[in-house]
Amino acid sequence: MSNESPGFFRQLPSAIPGLALIVITMVVIRNWIEPWMGSAEVFGTKGWLIKVTHLNYILLGIICGMLYRNVIFGGKMPEVFSNGFKLSRLMIKTGIIMLGSLYTFSAIVQLGAMAIFLIGGFVVLTIIMVLWLGKVFKLDRSMTGVLANALSICGVSAAVATSPAVEAKASHVAYAIATILGFGILTMFISPFIGHALQLTDMQYGAWIGTGILNSGQVLASALAFNPNVAPGTAVSVAEIWNIMRVISIPFAVFAVTVWYWAGKAGSEGSKQKSLGTLLVEKFPVFVIGFMVMVFLTSMGAFGDVGIKGGPPASDTIKMLRLWMTWIFGFGLVGLGGYIDFKELRQAGGAPLKLGLIVGTTKYVLALIVVLIIKDYLVAI
Amino acid sequence: MANDVKTGSETIGAAGTKGKMTLFKDDRAEDIGAIIVTVIVVAIIVLMNMK
Repeated sequence: MSNESPGFFRQLPSAIPGLALIVITMVVIRNWIEPWMGSAEVFGTKGWLIKVTHLNYILLGIICGMLYRNVIFGGKMPEVFSNGFKLSRLMIKTGIIMLGSLYTFSAIVQLGAMAIFLIGGFVVLTIIMVLWLGKVFKLDRSMTGVLANALSICGVSAAVATSPAVEAKASHVAYAIATILGFGILTMFISPFIGHALQLTDMQYGAWIGTGILNSGQVLASALAFNPNVAPGTAVSVAEIWNIMRVISIPFAVFAVTVWYWAGKAGSEGSKQKSLGTLLVEKFPVFVIGFMVMVFLTSMGAFGDVGIKGGPPASDTIKMLRLWMTWIFGFGLVGLGGYIDFKELRQAGGAPLKLGLIVGTTKYVLALIVVLIIKDYLVAI
Repeated sequence: MANDVKTGSETIGAAGTKGKMTLFKDDRAEDIGAIIVTVIVVAIIVLMNMK
């Protein structure tokens, strides 16, 4: 049976209804629901819904997406809306590329050095921990390999990228993804509360979730849920640099786990291993190049002043870029919510779930501890 | 079975075209699509702010 799907442009008209639902949802949230929550008096306090629950348009958007799929449409996105929701990752990636306008090269160097140190350490430690626990729980090597990269880098993409290299079955990938998404959804919703309770700064919070949360979309959602502002130095600007560093490490981690997998197979067909060079070409996330071009253009002043603290205010172009970004992220995250399927999350179970929870929780807590220890060395941009 | 999970098939438990979380053929095509959309959006914003 062929897996070929119709081309993008042939499917695009069928995406309009889903896209319209996403846009209408976000417009209603931002123009009516969020302002109402800010002014409504609950328990005698004006704005209680926002001050205490910390709900904002990002979390509301995700919740709406989840409600559409799991409550209103009974667990499956109707065919008519399905293709529109398939554009959600495109929107998230577009927003991340546009985020490049928040940084200059000097800020990237400052933040990037710290990010490489933290991300690199956590990726290596997580892989080692998963490979060891995989042995302890006597997991299938393919399953362990997929989990190692899913838990160490950026969840879904890493699991999918690793699967062919370690001969993983669809069920291995399904288990890994269900485990990390289930854990990620939990952390996505509780992290803003923890961050506010611990009175973390945007820098500390961004560094923590950029390291500790497993999935790219959830890092973005959690950062914007903590502080919905998109500007230099806000949680999203810090978390995304961390995330970009992590995404870049996908080919290297796939290579390391592939070498481990084939090294452990006695008399294996070593020819199936791919070189690091081949993996770099095949797996490098090219949207990162778009992000770097945006950083370059911003550093060159192509869009005017970026509005860094202490400097001149942001130009009108930069202001508009940031406003549009918040909308594009909002649309993308309604779509992301529409991909959270409670029934499918129940697929996670047994030893892979135990391993995922142990490693995920360790990473999440350890990242917070490390960030709190090194907080004086985290330089604001 | 090893290759029945296509890149871009990110919906849980559903390998291949049926469960794809993207309209593009794979992640790389989606990345390029995101770059093109960004170019269009940025061009519109720059044009709107030209004095």
